[in-house]
Amino acid sequence: MNRAVRKIWTLLGVIGVLIMVSAGVQAISGNDRNTPVQDSLVLQPDASSPDDPDPSDRGVQGLRKFIGYTGFANVTPGHLIMLAVGIVFIFLAIRFEYEPLLLIPIGTGILIGNVPFMADSGLMLGIYEEGSVMNYLYFGVKTGIYPPLIFLGIGAMTDFSSLISNPRLMLLGAAAQVGIFITFLGALSLGFHPAEAGAIGIIGGADGPTAIFISSKLANGLNIIGHTPVGDPVYVKNLIGPIAIAAYSYMALVPVIQPPIMRLLTSRRERLIRMKPPRSVSRLEKIMFPVIGLLLTTFISPSALPLLGMLFFGNLLKESGVTRRLADTSRNALIDIVTIVLGLTVGASTQADVFLIGESVLIFVLGAVSFMVATAGGVIFAKVMNLFLSQEKKINPLVGAAGVSAVPDSARVVQIMGLREDPSNHLLMHAMAPNVAGVIGSAVAAGILLSFLL
Amino acid sequence: MMTFLRIHPLTISFDLSAIDWFAVTVAVAGYVTVFLSLLALYYVFNNLPRLISLNIRKKLRKQGRIKDAAQSDLHISGEVGAAISMALFFYFSEMHDKESEVITIRRTRKEYSPWSSRIYSLNPYYRKKL
Repeated sequence: MNRAVRKIWTLLGVIGVLIMVSAGVQAISGNDRNTPVQDSLVLQPDASSPDDPDPSDRGVQGLRKFIGYTGFANVTPGHLIMLAVGIVFIFLAIRFEYEPLLLIPIGTGILIGNVPFMADSGLMLGIYEEGSVMNYLYFGVKTGIYPPLIFLGIGAMTDFSSLISNPRLMLLGAAAQVGIFITFLGALSLGFHPAEAGAIGIIGGADGPTAIFISSKLANGLNIIGHTPVGDPVYVKNLIGPIAIAAYSYMALVPVIQPPIMRLLTSRRERLIRMKPPRSVSRLEKIMFPVIGLLLTTFISPSALPLLGMLFFGNLLKESGVTRRLADTSRNALIDIVTIVLGLTVGASTQADVFLIGESVLIFVLGAVSFMVATAGGVIFAKVMNLFLSQEKKINPLVGAAGVSAVPDSARVVQIMGLREDPSNHLLMHAMAPNVAGVIGSAVAAGILLSFLL
Repeated sequence: MMTFLRIHPLTISFDLSAIDWFAVTVAVAGYVTVFLSLLALYYVFNNLPRLISLNIRKKLRKQGRIKDAAQSDLHISGEVGAAISMALFFYFSEMHDKESEVITIRRTRKEYSPWSSRIYSLNPYYRKKL
């Protein structure tokens, strides 16, 4: 206890010191963050002109300029809050291993994006400054390039055999998408524009890449959604950062959010249901799945083509058995590279001035609601299905919770919950079916929202 | 409009009138379409094994295995598949020549040599002390 108190005091002390140093530096440099110093401090083009100020003055000016550029001079409470959020993400990833592959890049990205610097100083540092390195990397997020590449890797990793062997579990993946559409309506009633509401709703799909893809199309800060009475265009809000952070945060918090809902909606008797073991799936079926899946789903929802096309392409690379090198690259090197860049830039896009807005709070609340509704939707639908199924074909309703497409975390949660009730009842393989169906379902939902709202 | 939460400077208000017919259409049509696409996949993959087994039954009948062809379920369960895979794995990973399985420990003979003699490896001073 004493150690914990000491740690808290240390943390508070460090924050206090930072604030004091910052205040001191701001006083020395005479720089308020909102008054750019560069105008008065920029070196004159002709330094040797006879009108030059005293060299000692120039030295002082240079020193002031340097101090004015430091993080201490530009820090705001918003920066400190975001830095703390970044550190919490990194802590959660390392200490509790909550999605470390995502939270470490995102957490570090938040730190990178929120190191205070002189805005508009011409240094081209910020992720939103045209020409900066981070802006180039962010291009893949803005234009929706990274999510399909992630889907390619997911496709090359995923074994759809549990889904093929028991196709009725696909319907659970569809049922869980109810969270998307209910959140869409909720966001509308909270005053968001339909395009923004669509992007927020997709958080309920619990699919980070899909959330980024759809927000880059619908809520990118670039689309014109109307005009003011004087004729000026009104742009849609840029919600990519808050939506991506909310989606990935809730994906990481699957083991925290889902179990209470699953317990609440099921009886012990239902949680003990043993499901029939899946049959073995032939190679022909595994090869036919991506081809038929691609054609069927994209004929229904062509807007989801970038996501579903890449998902099924990746799966065909894996299952064909003749493109092992390509499949290996997709599921290892390529997805790792894209995850690094995507995580880092999404994290860095949470610059305090863009991220700490009232809408972010709403998005986080709506995201949580969306996720809970999606989980409940899957579980309740499994119970409804059981009413029509024979005793030997009954579905353990816990499996329904895996209908949200957080692969494979929600399937893992189902397995753990099942084992807690009966240590010999392994539900992982069954849960993987609605889990991967959820990926397909959320991509289809994203496509539908795009075609309605873009 | 129902205002239910105020966080300075943000006021969160809940306005159900913002959910118009268009929004309801998007939500209902969207959800139904997601369901339909996965239902279509379900339908195809629920019936695909029957199509495949038709072909297998035809082949079995050609081979004269009428009894096998008449079986209602031609698929083996995943558990049986896993057991077969495990057995094959162990069989193939243990393939090597038969050995005698007799382990012998051969004593090495240690012949005397002044080169390895302890008495010549120490000088007289240490020898005395020891």
